[in-house]
Amino acid sequence: MGRYVIGRILQLIPVLFLISLIVFAVMHLLPGDPALLMLMGAEGGAVPPERLVELREQMGLNDPLWMQYFRFLTNALQGDLGASLRFRVPVTDLIASRFPSTATLALAGLAVAVAIGMPLGMAAAAHKSGWVDTLCMTLSYIGSSMPVYWLGLLLILLFSFNLRWFPSAGGGDFRALVLPAITLGLLSAGVLARLIRSSMLEVLAEDYMRTAHAKGLSSRIVLWRHGLKNAMIPVVTMIGLQFGALLAGTVVTETVFSRPCLGRLIVTSILAKDYPLVQGAVLFLAVVYVTVNLLIDILYAWLDPRIRYGH
Amino acid sequence: MLRRTSSVRRRLFTYAASLAIAAGLGTGAVAQDLVIAMPASNEPASLDGHIDPYQSTWLLNSFIADPLVVLNPEGNYLPALATEWENSDDGMTWTLTLREGVTFQDGTPFNAEAVKINLERILAPETASAQLASDVGPIAEITLDGDYKLTLRYDTPWVTLLDALRRTPIWSPTALAKFSLDDYDKHLVGTGPFTLTEWVQNDHITMTRWDGYGGWNGMAADPGPVDVESLTVRFIGEDAVLGQFLQTGEVDIVFGVPPLFVDLYSDNPDYKFISKGQAGTGLQMIMNIRNPPLNDIRVRRALLLGRDMAAVNDILYDGLYTASDGPLNNIHPCYWEGAASVYPKDPDKARALLEEAGWVDDGSGVRKASGVEGVEDGTPLTVRYSILHHKEIGEVLQAHYRDIGLDLQIEVIPGPVQLDMVQRRDFELMYERQRSPSPLILDQIWNSKWDQPGGWAWTGYVDPELDALVEQLRSIGDDEARCEVAIEAQKIIMDQALMLPTLSQPIFVAMANNVEGFQIGAEGNWFFLQNISISE
Repeated sequence: MGRYVIGRILQLIPVLFLISLIVFAVMHLLPGDPALLMLMGAEGGAVPPERLVELREQMGLNDPLWMQYFRFLTNALQGDLGASLRFRVPVTDLIASRFPSTATLALAGLAVAVAIGMPLGMAAAAHKSGWVDTLCMTLSYIGSSMPVYWLGLLLILLFSFNLRWFPSAGGGDFRALVLPAITLGLLSAGVLARLIRSSMLEVLAEDYMRTAHAKGLSSRIVLWRHGLKNAMIPVVTMIGLQFGALLAGTVVTETVFSRPCLGRLIVTSILAKDYPLVQGAVLFLAVVYVTVNLLIDILYAWLDPRIRYGH
Repeated sequence: MLRRTSSVRRRLFTYAASLAIAAGLGTGAVAQDLVIAMPASNEPASLDGHIDPYQSTWLLNSFIADPLVVLNPEGNYLPALATEWENSDDGMTWTLTLREGVTFQDGTPFNAEAVKINLERILAPETASAQLASDVGPIAEITLDGDYKLTLRYDTPWVTLLDALRRTPIWSPTALAKFSLDDYDKHLVGTGPFTLTEWVQNDHITMTRWDGYGGWNGMAADPGPVDVESLTVRFIGEDAVLGQFLQTGEVDIVFGVPPLFVDLYSDNPDYKFISKGQAGTGLQMIMNIRNPPLNDIRVRRALLLGRDMAAVNDILYDGLYTASDGPLNNIHPCYWEGAASVYPKDPDKARALLEEAGWVDDGSGVRKASGVEGVEDGTPLTVRYSILHHKEIGEVLQAHYRDIGLDLQIEVIPGPVQLDMVQRRDFELMYERQRSPSPLILDQIWNSKWDQPGGWAWTGYVDPELDALVEQLRSIGDDEARCEVAIEAQKIIMDQALMLPTLSQPIFVAMANNVEGFQIGAEGNWFFLQNISISE
């Protein structure tokens, strides 16, 4: 297992290098000049062209592209992702201030997804082809089809503006997390429910499940103790992938609920062509994503003793 | 026994609750925390107005740092940290007399040296001031005459200094020396009514009342600290939430109510509502006259004749938006009154002009080129309408222009794409807006010397007479004389049909009825809190 983990970590290096190169290239291919964007967006109006040249020099934008990339890469290897052109503070500081909120939201969304998706999927599998199965799968399709933007606004309208149970915006405390977590979680819950159902159905058809019933064990014990653990193997993988998707895909939810998270920061920085911030934040998210997947693979091996990595 | 105990408990609880309510009512308690919600787009990247180039930054700074002068809601400059100012006849020397007895929030005395340090910081290359450095101008020399008088000498006339100074925060020199450029915006120290307590980016800014404030601002009705204990500004990313936020009771004021939600407050006796126009250019569309079809003045004039902006305003905004009939909108101090009558709605005349220009009506609904120079015969008459927002205005105009046989193609573009298209001159109608009560914006947009990277002159029109007129705006100190020159410039621009005026977007502000003393500024996107209070 140790050799497997080391091998996977070494594989990350070319992956991350490629991601950094692609992000750098795309950002520089996109139209717009960050210095010009800053000046043109300002409220005072036109500035002399020499001011533009000055600002570009101060931002380090006059250096050749290969030099800019080389500087970024060498600094990144030392943990320095550069300074944001807009905010003029280290990118690492900006990520550190935003990422906990993003991670909290993603984890909360995942918790909602599991809390809703698992019972739905299991109930559907246990009552295959019955009205419970139909109802659960219909709910899962509805959940995964609803646009996040629309759902978020609907929840705000009902629970914030009408019932006043939860705040409608802001980072705040636990109460401020509930509605965004439900908004995110419902989408993933639908996906998880369908996966759990199909996985459970496969397991329920296994001989050992029939043996367990024949031994006189109750359906509940057969389902939970013998069926669920084996059915969870592919589900764990999906949960890991969902977490990665949630980390990267919370920007719409962050905007609807005005949460101070990383996704919004990246989107506004793309529009402002804040190269260091976009490059650094995307690279960071890529590291998080591949690390989560590695941990899932390790967990997979623990769940299923038949799996042996590196042999 | 149990019944008696629970009855006693109930009576005790009722009695205690009554006492609590009476205590609250009896004291006439004043709410201590003022909460204002604004669009998330108002949140700056840096809170240091010397660096950040946005009006919203300077507005937030004004709660922490008084400027040297203020522009009152009537559009007049009032003393703040400067009590008197004088501009020489040639416009190249400014003398400022400063207020005595002022201290910064950290105890540093306010004086001429402090102002000099601030101005030098703005102009220093390492500050990389994106806007204020240009607005303050190329100061050649700053000389001090005692502790409370300083002179700024320029090598060129600089008549717009007051407009820059009203936005310029004056920071404590002690604090500036203590913190680095990149760190200072988390440790702002000024002379204003509030001190900076906390900034959670993308969420809120909290400021606390400074009890040492002396009301050193011409807008303050009374000397001394403000009535509210704290100010929290919350940034809301979603219009639908911002528009209804006031109704939840989580905020006291919403600054920038989206137009769709104005109806909730405008005639509602439970709220106070303000609609304030923003002087400037309005939501104008600049015409690129370098290429067909807009290189033909007849086509440009047809565009102006073929639309009915009053109808657009009624359909989309219930008439709430402000008219904008020329290069300066109708509430601008230097607006030319004749602009509205140059191209009154006249679709028949528009069709005649298009026909004359070689765009013939073939019955298909969209005119085709026939003998138009540089255009292949049979080419449909299409004009791209490139906009950052307010797409709905273009959609209504599409219907107007269909009526005269022109196909308006709307494209909503982000800021970087707009700049790229402008740089490549690849546009036909391009959105552009400037907000300022100064007519100097005419120079920025219509002086052909600004047809270069970083400049706002996009149209491609070169006219020495127009250039000379708008150039003069930089050197005329007298407001009336400047407006006269601005009017002459507007006549040329309208005659040549170089731009398509649409409407002007006001700022909508809604607040709870118990908020008193909120004062909106002359430009709309500014307000004052010196006299704010919240009653029970």
